[in-house]
Amino acid sequence: MSNMIKGVFGAVLGALYGGLGTLQIAAALTGPAVPFVPASLFWGCVLLVIGAVLLTGVRNLARGLDDGVVFFNVGILLSVSFGVISLLAAGAGALEAAIAGEAWSVADTLAPAVYLAAIGAAGFLAWCRAFFRGLATA
Amino acid sequence: MTGIRIALAGNPNVGKTTLFNALTGSRQHVGNWPGVTVEKKTGRVNRNGHAIEVIDLPGTYSLTAYSADEVVARDYILEEKPDVVVQVVDATNLERNLYLTTQLAELGVPIVIALNMADAAEATGCTIDRERLSALLAIPVVRTVGIRGEGLDDLLDAAIREAETSPYHEHTVGYGNDVEAMIASLVGVLAADKDLAERYPLRWLAARLLEGDENALAKVRESPVSSRVQDLLSAIDPDEYEATMADRRYDVIAAILPQVRTAGARGMNASEMVDRVVTDRYLGIPIFLALMWGTFELTFAVAAPFAALIEAGLAWLSAAVAGSIEPAWLASLVGDGLIGGVGSVLVFVPNIFILFLILSFLEDTGYLARAAFIMDRLMYAIGLPGKAFIPMLIGFGCNVPGIMAARTIEGEKDRLITILVNPFISCSARLPVYILFAGAFFGAAAGGVVFLLYVLGIAAAIGSAKLFRHTILPGESSPFIMEMPPYRLPTVWTSLLHMWSRGAMYVRKAGTIVFAGALVVWCLASFPFGVEYGSSASLAGALGHLLAPLVAPLGFDWKIAVALLFGFVAKEVVVGSLGVLYGTGEEGDALSMALLADPGLSAVTALALMVFVLLYTPCLATIATIRKETGSWRWTGFSVAYGLVLAWLLALIVGQIAPFFLGGA
Repeated sequence: MSNMIKGVFGAVLGALYGGLGTLQIAAALTGPAVPFVPASLFWGCVLLVIGAVLLTGVRNLARGLDDGVVFFNVGILLSVSFGVISLLAAGAGALEAAIAGEAWSVADTLAPAVYLAAIGAAGFLAWCRAFFRGLATA
Repeated sequence: MTGIRIALAGNPNVGKTTLFNALTGSRQHVGNWPGVTVEKKTGRVNRNGHAIEVIDLPGTYSLTAYSADEVVARDYILEEKPDVVVQVVDATNLERNLYLTTQLAELGVPIVIALNMADAAEATGCTIDRERLSALLAIPVVRTVGIRGEGLDDLLDAAIREAETSPYHEHTVGYGNDVEAMIASLVGVLAADKDLAERYPLRWLAARLLEGDENALAKVRESPVSSRVQDLLSAIDPDEYEATMADRRYDVIAAILPQVRTAGARGMNASEMVDRVVTDRYLGIPIFLALMWGTFELTFAVAAPFAALIEAGLAWLSAAVAGSIEPAWLASLVGDGLIGGVGSVLVFVPNIFILFLILSFLEDTGYLARAAFIMDRLMYAIGLPGKAFIPMLIGFGCNVPGIMAARTIEGEKDRLITILVNPFISCSARLPVYILFAGAFFGAAAGGVVFLLYVLGIAAAIGSAKLFRHTILPGESSPFIMEMPPYRLPTVWTSLLHMWSRGAMYVRKAGTIVFAGALVVWCLASFPFGVEYGSSASLAGALGHLLAPLVAPLGFDWKIAVALLFGFVAKEVVVGSLGVLYGTGEEGDALSMALLADPGLSAVTALALMVFVLLYTPCLATIATIRKETGSWRWTGFSVAYGLVLAWLLALIVGQIAPFFLGGA
């Protein structure tokens, strides 16, 4: 049952990463960005990679392969890690704006890497903590 | 106080340097991958009235040395004859580690085993009966956890005891009747050479000769008994003997292990599971690239506010200097020359430290070892062993240790190719140039541009390696066998220490080489007396105009030519020189603004310049290291000339192609 829920969660999150990553790349290459999906070729590629890891996990879970859970866990870890990177970059931007006395809006931080990482973090707390604790002590 | 010399030996990545640092209080670099130590390091410690000298040797899997670093380890033990050899053994991988023990025992040197990473072995439920192991091998065995400093006193006490009693450990492996008969015959012949008999344990030497060890053959080549040795060896197949003797050693180990070790439950551990993903055939390289891009994004973004603070501080300092120093030339020297030159380099300290912090973290977790593994297929396709990617990864920090790390490469041609292409790996000294120009001309896309430059550096290294392999250095590469270190969560302190030890080098360079470079460039920009500072009429202008025709096809003017010339000394000097030549000591981001305001510069020129800086001769220290490691001025000259030609050509191509993408910006 647990693997079933993970599979559905991974499929939805993986599809979101893939879809929004494609939108970011398309916006960077061709035209105007969708609200809260800023144009960025590199961030788009990163989102596609995370989506691919999650969807590989879903495929392997569906086939009953043991490593499906591992792809799922690592995909979630990548999701959270890049969310943190995005937040740190946004925080630094806010600090820099404060130093320079320029305007800064919290809306500037709202990018797919951040809000998808919030969903990833929920998955991390629900399923992945024990796995990565084991990794840290391996 | 009596003196004792202890040599730390063992397989790669078993924690020798961690133990060395814990024993001696040193701060040698420790990495979570094999091959970090490529030459011996020395430290000192006092214990119970003994002045102990500890020597950290490069890791080696066996005493049949193949690579340059393994030869260093073996020759030290053989030629320098330490009082005791402490073999650091990875408790989680006893079988492979004990292979070296069987060979060390044949040398007859006093040995102590440091059963290191004992905590990691215990965490898997594995227990090791140290007393039984010690009794079976006739070697003291001490439990240690180097990273927490556990067992150090016991280890030193055991080493002192062994050194003082100096027991001769008889060989522990019997190789069977046929091999033993050959060993006896060879020992009989070798014993006639008194000099040889005094220098080397004859049984050990005979065994190595039977295995066809080139190094051992070289040792007897000058001996008067050489021809008789050759007669005996001509009748045997060394490969067959080597395989038989290795089998016998493993037979001994297989007999010992069940008596001393109780294995824990063995499923796939977490490290192995994660490796399934990060070394995946299709996803491994995209994950690696994503992580590298994340590294540069963080390096760029997080450092920005700190860089802004440093810029503001320097601007204040420069303004204070300008208003309070007389005469005017001295104010110019301090403001334009020193603050403008050194300050423009110091601004990038936050970027450098953040880059090193992230790279240290990735290295200490064990991920960079996986990066080498996933690049193996690509490296093998171009004719280099995957191991050659490790010197490239080290080169991201600094090319000097990167080139030295090529000592771990076994084939001479493989090693030479690895050395020749390492300068194309973008070291940290080039980062300030990228940040300056990418930041000024590419705005929000600057992180991506810097990432692409690093990728271009790897591509240039790989492409050049393929070219060399198919032209001047043909041959087959050896297969890549690399042990994956377990993933470890590094402590904050360890990562900060690594960051500091590497980043401090950058600050030191700013205070020495860049300082001197800024002084020279200021003099060139100020003389002869009476000329406008940094103008075409100055010495710098004359020098720049002399060089300008060489770089004019690339779109660079005379100021860039002068900066590139001084960049031969060290890449940071390029930024320092521009800071002086543009006279930008008095405002925060003045150099960026000055570059943007220069009508001769555009995004296209900036891109071509960054490509040129990436690929042309890295620095004097790297050139000296290439000379030392290749032992050849010819190869050193080739490296410099090839880098210059490639840089010039690629910068020209970028200058021609980039306008189509950047719209001639």
